[in-house]
Amino acid sequence: MKKFLIRILMAAALLFVLNWIYTKWFFKKDVAEHSDILELVWQVEADSCRIVYLGESSNVTCGAQETDKRKISAYLAEYFPNVKTGDMTKEASHAQTYYYLLKNIPKKSTVETVVVTMNLRSFDARWIYSNLETPLRKQLVLMEDYPPFVNRLLLALKAYPIRSEEELDSLTRRHWREDPLVFPFDFEWDNVYQWDSATAWQGRHNYEGEYDPKWTELVCHYIKSYGFQIRDDNPRLKDFDDIVALSRKRGWNLVFNLMAENVDKANGLVGKELMYLMKQNHDYLLDRYGHLDGVTVVDNLNLVRDVDFIDQDWTTEHYYEDGRRIIAGNVAKALKAYYPEEYRNVDWKRDAGHYYFGDAVQTLDKNQPYGPTLTLPADSLRTDWERVNVAFMMRQADTLHNAKLAVESLVAHDNVLVSYIDVKPQIQKIGEWDFATFDLSVDPIMRNALQVKIFVYNPSDDAVQLKDMDVSFRPAYLKPGVKGEPQQR
Amino acid sequence: MVFNSIEFLIFLPIVVALFYLLPQKLRWVMLLAASCVFYMWFVPKYILILLVTIIIDFSAGILMENYADRPKLKKTFLIISIVSTLAVLMVFEYLNFLTENLSLLLAQMGIEKRWVTHIILPIGLSFHTFQSMSYVIEVYRGHQKAERHFGYYSLYVMFFPQLVTGPIERPGNLLRQLHEKKELHYENISKGMRLIIYGFFIKMVVADNLGAYVDKVYSAPSSYNSWSVMLAMAFYSFQIYCDFFGYSTIALGSAKLMGFDISDNFRTPYLAKSIAEFWHRWHISLSTWFRDYVYIPLGGSRVKFGRWAFNIMVVFVLSGIWHGAAWTFLFWGFAHGLLHIIEKALRNRFPEKEPKSKWIGYGLDALRIAKTFVLVTLFWVMFRASDFANMKDMFVSAVTNFGGGDSLGVKPEMWLYLGLFILSDLLLFNSRFDQWCDNKPILLRWFIYGLLIFMTVVCSSVNSFPFIYFQF
Repeated sequence: MKKFLIRILMAAALLFVLNWIYTKWFFKKDVAEHSDILELVWQVEADSCRIVYLGESSNVTCGAQETDKRKISAYLAEYFPNVKTGDMTKEASHAQTYYYLLKNIPKKSTVETVVVTMNLRSFDARWIYSNLETPLRKQLVLMEDYPPFVNRLLLALKAYPIRSEEELDSLTRRHWREDPLVFPFDFEWDNVYQWDSATAWQGRHNYEGEYDPKWTELVCHYIKSYGFQIRDDNPRLKDFDDIVALSRKRGWNLVFNLMAENVDKANGLVGKELMYLMKQNHDYLLDRYGHLDGVTVVDNLNLVRDVDFIDQDWTTEHYYEDGRRIIAGNVAKALKAYYPEEYRNVDWKRDAGHYYFGDAVQTLDKNQPYGPTLTLPADSLRTDWERVNVAFMMRQADTLHNAKLAVESLVAHDNVLVSYIDVKPQIQKIGEWDFATFDLSVDPIMRNALQVKIFVYNPSDDAVQLKDMDVSFRPAYLKPGVKGEPQQR
Repeated sequence: MVFNSIEFLIFLPIVVALFYLLPQKLRWVMLLAASCVFYMWFVPKYILILLVTIIIDFSAGILMENYADRPKLKKTFLIISIVSTLAVLMVFEYLNFLTENLSLLLAQMGIEKRWVTHIILPIGLSFHTFQSMSYVIEVYRGHQKAERHFGYYSLYVMFFPQLVTGPIERPGNLLRQLHEKKELHYENISKGMRLIIYGFFIKMVVADNLGAYVDKVYSAPSSYNSWSVMLAMAFYSFQIYCDFFGYSTIALGSAKLMGFDISDNFRTPYLAKSIAEFWHRWHISLSTWFRDYVYIPLGGSRVKFGRWAFNIMVVFVLSGIWHGAAWTFLFWGFAHGLLHIIEKALRNRFPEKEPKSKWIGYGLDALRIAKTFVLVTLFWVMFRASDFANMKDMFVSAVTNFGGGDSLGVKPEMWLYLGLFILSDLLLFNSRFDQWCDNKPILLRWFIYGLLIFMTVVCSSVNSFPFIYFQF
């Protein structure tokens, strides 16, 4: 027995020495080769950052033709010129990745505030079982809480989930089949699988009435990307909960940055059922994390318009400069609470064709039926603008009001053509802010009019409140059924 | 469960600790349960296939012994057992191949009827069915008493260290040991650990790192220059050796920790001077299985040359098919058999003469070793290629692409790993790592342990390469 004990002690000493040798001479090289994500933490430390922005591709992706290609985190830094701001960005990251990055920030760090990207799609089965997951998990092994030599052993033994493409596909499909979709209204499909299959079977037809495979594929893709309901057992929630617990332990200000999704397209392509699911998931996250001490949820979900999304034929959170600036500005507003002295306003001008009327709340009823009005004089509509997106936030006390979106074209001095669109199908909440988005075509009447006005109108006794009205004109490439090839802006 | 996984590194110490802590009468229960867990870690339902073969062969053994005085009935039980065991192997390993080829044949005859099956092969089926068959044959021959304890017999077939890729054990060795009471000895733990450390090193550092280069070339042979293709062929010889030898060594070590001695499967095969010698050194448990149960019953070598050649071809073609249901394996077995026959014929025609000096003798031996290695390496191309087209691409690229194509770009450290392995293999000629260490000074031993552990952890490939023989 004595011999056993001596050998065990010798083995322990040997492992201690091996760990020391590895950490001193080999660890950095391995990190560079197998876990470059950890270098992001080292960089933030080296820069003595006080604010850290954790993001995925949404932070760094920009349009090929853009002159200002800065990241969201760089725009955010503009608001706090005297607070050192850094970022940790890794494509396809999600809450678990962020948790690993955060827990590797040294205890004596200068970091005070962490802004963590919260991507709605990352809760979906397709992202959870993405084929990018295995390489991502492999990157995290060297960041485990064990001594570096042990972590390297775990890497050598592939101690992370390795799933084949077939397995991942099968798991995703199982969720599509088995996760029920529950609506407060009648809906003929029980799950995403049925919904997607039926949509694919029926197909979408273009303006000429022909079956359009691209458009059909896009509609199905939106259904599969957003057609889910976050439930308490969603694995991402545990990771976000871990981030909350870690932030509290480390005394950080925690900001969850709920990213903007292309709600305009989701609504235009699929409609109210998908919007309901997106809103429900958004509400779930706000409800779960928005009321926690020390946690701020920045809600960007519906802030970026279709025109500001780079990828028009896929669901991503990749924004053009305007989109990135909107997100950065919104986060900056939240961070102002932590750094009121250091906050500096940043002015930037949006592109032509984009009109935002601010977040001042306006009440519309029979005494004051008109909301903010966009007035466009003759010839102000650019020839390449073929669609117009109108989005706003509305709060209704009940559903008795008669609020409509109005597009008024003055075709002659005494001839006004007005088209009204009911907003009620989109405003589903009572007593809470809800958002609506409308995708309209710029028709010849509007194009040839002496003047065009776009506004929300509520002539009824029952009041509604309105804010964040946003009108954006967009060119033809965004038309459904046409492969979106972003043009130079 | 695979050996090179964190699960196994947790599983093994627990099993070993329980083994020594439990009283002898409960050890088989624990080992059997552990073996079930080990096997079911892959695909749980496949254990039912194993259960079927265990029940058939266990019953056959008892029946053969009970009716020992009625030879015809005894033989019937043997045939039933072997046919049913082979039927299981046939369905799971060969049915896809047969239906696919039959469909192709029918298509050639203008009959467009495709009924190709897609049955997934349970891991290690070829190994444990052969182990099971060796038991019934040994009982039939009267060399082995029938096991009347179902638990011990099940454990003989399922003993986890050698369950999925052998060595294919004989009841006379393993079954006997399973009944023996094993005491905790420092010697066993020490030797077992040495074997495990060495096995991990050659699998994870040498085989897996070589695998990356081999895969690159085999996936697109024509895009590499001839030197790189030849290098990849040679690399594969070492990859498959280190992969299988590594697994077998870990298996030996794992069993040794509990005091069990299972058979050596390799004995420096690339130092063989002929194909015949190669097969005495490579996958020894399979070679001896075929020798004892196929070759000798067919007449072995005590027959005329023509009959002997036939016996050899049968053994080698069967050995090829045993490795997998594909024409490339069959071709590989055939090639080995043919070369074996040619070598013998040449030896008969030109008997070896005593060299004039020992240095000439060494030189001739070196040439013979090199010749055998080159031939075995060329044959491995058939074994590794995904199909005949891939095999052809490899051979064509190896001789026609000297001027163009990419270079394999082997990292310098790869040569270090391979060099260290070759050195160790030479040092271990006709020996084993645990035995070799025995008479070395403690400081040197611990330096070697440290080096092997360090290299296994730091230099192992981070890409996933399953054990090659898992597919059989």
